[in-house]
Amino acid sequence: MKRKGLATMLAVMMVGLTAVGCGKGNASQGQANATGGKEEVKTLRFLDVTPSEKRQTYYEGIFDKFEAETGIAVTYESVPWDDAANKITVLGSSNQLPDVMTTWSGWLGQYTQAGWVIPLDDYIADSRDEYTEAVNKLLWKSEEDRYGHVYTIPDGLMVKGIFVRKDWCEEAGITLDPTKDWTYDDYFDLVKKLTDASKKHYGAAYRGARGALDPLLVYMQGYTGGNTYDQSGKILINSEDCLNAFVKWTDVYKNGYAPEDAINWGFTEMVDNFTGGLVGTLINDSEVAATCQANMSDDQWMVMPMPKSTADGKLYNTINAPYAYSISGSSKNPDEAWKLIEFLSRPENNIEYCKLTGEIPIKKDVENDETYGLSGPYATFARQLNDPDLAVPTTFGPFDYTDLHQGMFHEEIQNYLLGNVDARTALDNITSELQRRMDMYLQDNPDSVIESALKLK
Amino acid sequence: MKRSTKRKLVNAVRFVVLTFFLLLVVLPIYWMVITSFKINQEIVNAQRLTYFPQVFTLENYQSLFRMLDYGGFLRNSITITMATAICVVVLSILGGYGLARFKFKGKSAVLLFFLITQMIPGILVIIPLYVVFSKAGLVNTHFSLFVFYLITNLPFCVITMRSFFERIPYVLEEAAYVDGCSRLESLVKIILPVMFPGIVAVFVFAFIGSWNELIAGTIFLNTPDQWTIPVGLKSLIGKYSVQWGALMAGGVLALLPTAVMFIFVQKYVVEGLTSGAVKG
Amino acid sequence: MVKEKREKKKWIYRGVKTKMEPYFYILPVMVLLVLMFGYPLIKSVIMAFQNYKLSNINNVYFNDLANFKKMFGDQNFLLLLKNSVVYVIVAVLGQFLLGMILALALKQKFRGRGLYQSIVFLPWAFSTFVVGLLFRWSFNGEYGVVNDLLMKIGVIDKGIAWLGTPGLSLVVIILAMIWMGIPFFGIMVLAALQSIPEEVYEAAEMDGCGIIKKFFFLTLPYIKPTIIITVLLRTIWIFNSFDLVVIVTGGGPANYSQTLPSYMYTKAFSGYDFGLAGAFGLLLMVILGIYAVVFLKISNYDKAGDF
Repeated sequence: MKRKGLATMLAVMMVGLTAVGCGKGNASQGQANATGGKEEVKTLRFLDVTPSEKRQTYYEGIFDKFEAETGIAVTYESVPWDDAANKITVLGSSNQLPDVMTTWSGWLGQYTQAGWVIPLDDYIADSRDEYTEAVNKLLWKSEEDRYGHVYTIPDGLMVKGIFVRKDWCEEAGITLDPTKDWTYDDYFDLVKKLTDASKKHYGAAYRGARGALDPLLVYMQGYTGGNTYDQSGKILINSEDCLNAFVKWTDVYKNGYAPEDAINWGFTEMVDNFTGGLVGTLINDSEVAATCQANMSDDQWMVMPMPKSTADGKLYNTINAPYAYSISGSSKNPDEAWKLIEFLSRPENNIEYCKLTGEIPIKKDVENDETYGLSGPYATFARQLNDPDLAVPTTFGPFDYTDLHQGMFHEEIQNYLLGNVDARTALDNITSELQRRMDMYLQDNPDSVIESALKLK
Repeated sequence: MKRSTKRKLVNAVRFVVLTFFLLLVVLPIYWMVITSFKINQEIVNAQRLTYFPQVFTLENYQSLFRMLDYGGFLRNSITITMATAICVVVLSILGGYGLARFKFKGKSAVLLFFLITQMIPGILVIIPLYVVFSKAGLVNTHFSLFVFYLITNLPFCVITMRSFFERIPYVLEEAAYVDGCSRLESLVKIILPVMFPGIVAVFVFAFIGSWNELIAGTIFLNTPDQWTIPVGLKSLIGKYSVQWGALMAGGVLALLPTAVMFIFVQKYVVEGLTSGAVKG
Repeated sequence: MVKEKREKKKWIYRGVKTKMEPYFYILPVMVLLVLMFGYPLIKSVIMAFQNYKLSNINNVYFNDLANFKKMFGDQNFLLLLKNSVVYVIVAVLGQFLLGMILALALKQKFRGRGLYQSIVFLPWAFSTFVVGLLFRWSFNGEYGVVNDLLMKIGVIDKGIAWLGTPGLSLVVIILAMIWMGIPFFGIMVLAALQSIPEEVYEAAEMDGCGIIKKFFFLTLPYIKPTIIITVLLRTIWIFNSFDLVVIVTGGGPANYSQTLPSYMYTKAFSGYDFGLAGAFGLLLMVILGIYAVVFLKISNYDKAGDF
């Protein structure tokens, strides 16, 4: 009797303890179900891939307004940028994707293939005219060229520029005029002049790790008319001109105009080292202007436009929406999800968002806001958008290249920087892999149109 | 005479060694703490490195609480970790006792299986489990992490517990049986109190094993209200800036609970392990 | 009544009171572990022979040995293998030696030993994430405190790009791993040392044994089982761990600090290729299996199955 009692006690204790774990779990499970979107209570899940204090505050505020208007609640989920691609893959493969996701354009090849995002053509059919020329002619055109449909609504537009230490230039007796065109050679020259190792001043925030090929690709495309492939799908960026560009670009690191550590730098390190006063120039998105404003005084920095191509005089600059909205394939309430995106894209909401994040608005109604005028903080970016020579170069291709972007691209370049291979070999390794994937893609999709550089004007 | 010089020499060497290890631990911690009180411009400053904050600030800690629901993370971490550690202790007592006191068919297979579980790369466990959990609607719950931490900590803890039991003289139990106690009774009433330090040791193993885990946390948990401390801290690495100050502040705060626990329990851990240290 | 009791005692002593009794104790643990490890284990072995891309989950098929061909054909394979071996050997050896020295120094009581122990054992309580960041930050080529200190003492006159130089980046990871692991060895060895009966030493001293002799002929044999188990487990854990690599260097530059498991993690996610990850996982388990068998044989550990 006594023995049984004790055994029972022990068993109860264990069950009880397990229930501690379960109890908490069940509570949140209930919540997860609710957010999955049952008929009675409509709740949407929203995923932000670049969480920050101000973004979360913005979204939670706007979701409250949305709920007040429509009765649809939205939960804000987030994942740090570095983990975002991984996380979405895990969510996607188990059909757990939130209804609305912020999406980087580089991921779309994979997501469209896997069915993790749904086409939005029908939703935007009536309202396309409300969006700016840039959205229609550049972003959506590019998506239609590559995937046959529009999959994302831009959150805002991001244009690249070259951030420069104004005070260093003054010290070195260099005057820069952001309203004048310049070339990559001018830029390399500036980088060289700003370097003074004794003062711990380096010319460039060289990008050596993840994404190393992105800015280099744009430079090389200056010699290929902005295209990665020709109309038959043959790769162009392995020409002699491109090889020269490759060598000149990497010389910035090899000649010591960037810190040795920079071989490991990604986005984050580049920005930190620019604001931290180690490097004098930084090629990056308008978004970074906000970080500069927060960490530096106005007389310390300025923005130059991207250099023009010496081959054809065009201003090649990538223009994209960094965290565009898409509706996931897992969403059970795509119509409600669309309502949310539409709400976020309203001119008054969009401009508020863009001012906060340093992006360019997507709606015609607000594109002429004074913040984006020629005297505002985004003057250089706005000016580039209006430049008649502006052309948006193509991407790496319509296929899934996420693994290359996170591996081979920068590893090959690093091997060259470390002297393990010569420039030709490094470039050829990259381009032959791209060519291989393009051939495979064309075999599977024989009717596809090969994207070419896009122009606004 | 010779003997005492020798002793002096030994003591001197010991002092040097002890100082070395103290510095080895204290200096990095000092650096972490000091960085957490610096302003960002002082932390990321290529021109000058400061060994003490020029401008002392609490901003990093404040921003931590402002940006992140740190209290919530702490609560989540404690819930999951405590549930895990307690369950690991109970299951280890049972399993360890079974392995120590009985000979049975398949015992060596059990032990071999334990060893094999240690060899499986964690990520290969996480992904299939994630798929199972997502089908069961358990993703983004503490329960999913609880299960994962439970199974990853169990094998080592069961084996450790078993070696504690093996050190307890069987005579103790026998005496209890003579008094008419059942096996379970004697286990609970006689043996467990003797083994208290060992139980604390196992608890600490399981606690630390789950308190600091990051990878499974980032994969299993989606929403900030469910995050544990490491997962929350990780979110401070944004796309455009690493907030070193806040990260270091977070590191300090994450360390505090375990550090306080250490002060109280380290004695038992060593004591507990001592009693079970040498097997056979 | 009394007779009955004595009867019972006998049964228990032999440990065969009922055939089922041992299973009652061990079953909860086994059920949990077999379910939760067994399924993933089988699943990943199967995946290793499949074209299993997470991004294309509806198109899974067996592809013979394609994943293994891809793995062994990877131009980085030998580099990864070398890195993994260097990483695990140096890290385990470093932790073991330093942990042992620490334990020996702690064996004798001294004032404040309790407080001292709770401080030096602290790295054990650190999360890998925080340690990784701390080391990454301290070894930063431009802002790092390590370079600054080395320059101040005059060992170097120009900052070293620790994380950007092949070879050195792996060194930083190894140092971080050693730092984190010293306490575990320290605690285990200390516990073993304290369990050595004092009389054994007294007898040896009578015989006029010196410190070194005592250590090699008394202490070491006595704590050998503890050392074997701790080294075995630590090696397995460290060999499979990849978080430190991911946090400190991400494997860079050009995979010079990448290890097999960290490469597997990166590949599994950036390529979403779980077939390939499964193949890597299988390889890791085979390597560890062989290691465990060989290690236990060489170390002459009599309870082989029993780790």
